[in-house]
Amino acid sequence: MNHSFIDEHSHIDSALSRLDARIKIISFFAFIFFIVFTAPGSILSFALDGLLLLTLIAFSKIPISYIFKRCLVIVPFILMTAFFLPFWQQGETIPLFQIGTFQANVSAAGWIMFQSVLIKGIFSVACLTLLTASTPFPQLLAALEDLKFPQLIIMILSFMYRYIFLIEDEAMKMWQAMKSRRAGGSRWLHLKAIANMLGTLFIRSYERGETVYLAMRSRGFNGTFKQSHNFELRRYDLAFLFNIFLALVSIKLLDNFLGK
Amino acid sequence: MHIPDGFLAANTWATAWVISTGTIGYCLKKTAGLLKDRMVPLMGIMSAFIFAAQMINFPVIGGTSGHLLGGVLAAVLLGPYAGAVVLTCVLIFQCLVFQDGGLLALGANILNMAIIGTIGGYVIFNVLHKIFGNKKGLQIGAAVAAWFSVVIAASFCALELAFSGTSPLGIVLPAMAGIHALIGIGEATITVAVLSFIQKVRPDLIYGFAGESNKA
Repeated sequence: MNHSFIDEHSHIDSALSRLDARIKIISFFAFIFFIVFTAPGSILSFALDGLLLLTLIAFSKIPISYIFKRCLVIVPFILMTAFFLPFWQQGETIPLFQIGTFQANVSAAGWIMFQSVLIKGIFSVACLTLLTASTPFPQLLAALEDLKFPQLIIMILSFMYRYIFLIEDEAMKMWQAMKSRRAGGSRWLHLKAIANMLGTLFIRSYERGETVYLAMRSRGFNGTFKQSHNFELRRYDLAFLFNIFLALVSIKLLDNFLGK
Repeated sequence: MHIPDGFLAANTWATAWVISTGTIGYCLKKTAGLLKDRMVPLMGIMSAFIFAAQMINFPVIGGTSGHLLGGVLAAVLLGPYAGAVVLTCVLIFQCLVFQDGGLLALGANILNMAIIGTIGGYVIFNVLHKIFGNKKGLQIGAAVAAWFSVVIAASFCALELAFSGTSPLGIVLPAMAGIHALIGIGEATITVAVLSFIQKVRPDLIYGFAGESNKA
């Protein structure tokens, strides 16, 4: 079954993947912070952010088409909530394009808001994609735990990661079996079959959970885990962190002095 | 309705983070008290199940499709607290692995879907379940609660966008609520159908229906 959707690129050996995962998390979270707090309409800032992002993508050796594809995830949301912003008339309007004698006007405030929301959304998604695509998921969780993320959530997530392939596999097998039996028609016609499939999947998953728990219990599990991961900061990691912050602060300063 | 980063103002996502952290912290404590040392394996596998169940999508109109939220499904099967915990883990996973929903906006997404959608949905379910009795109550309660959970979560999302000054309330609220009123029909139908099946086959696995043995 095809489910190589997690850790698809984390095996790539690159300048980014060799970094300490904690440093990577701090750097990218800071980057997202900076992007989100950029004032709408500061084109210079956005351009420099984009440049930094492209540099990091180049360092990561992750195919840019993959990152681009991931950025499309926000498209439906934009269509639902922000698409109409430029047409929402308020205050002065600016001409958008002209076809013959027809001229489309958009509101200036709406257009700037739309632009900023679009760019911020795409850049943040690209940041997160870079972070998670260059880090194996278990390492990401270990680093988050080391950064004092709630331990209970981390433990549940690491279990989820372990079993997601199994459950997804089971779901896909059931789905294939169902598809091979049905004779066309829309999904709504097969509602009962789909529902029974999901119900069966729930029961099997629940029972698997119980079995796994009992197996763990019989081996001495008492509800807590002792994690043993030792991260070690090297000069390389600190240099990366320093450079990222230097770049972000310079972008901010440049925008303050040169922008507008 | 996973909100990406850049759509919310700082005061909105920060407030949402505070509310979400507090509520989910309480839910974690409640779930741990109920499940004890079974909690981690069971919640992990149930999160994986809800994640897999969300793969099912149903066409709405005009080429758009909605996928199962699973909030009410999880809450009715596992109870409101465990349901909220499971949905939270699914949302964190989606944010990190699929970038579905932003990082700073994660608090708001947890608030909308895991807290208001799941716990709120369970409250509606519980009231209707008590009014209509066991079998009919499960179906009517789950249908109404599932529909409302999707619509209310979408409306909250619209409210947050309006508070942030991203979109005018008069446009974004009808747009979000309208689309999700349609998606909600799919959610309600599937939730009821799945719950009816489990009620027939393994009623002991449904939270609140179970004997003491299942509550450990």
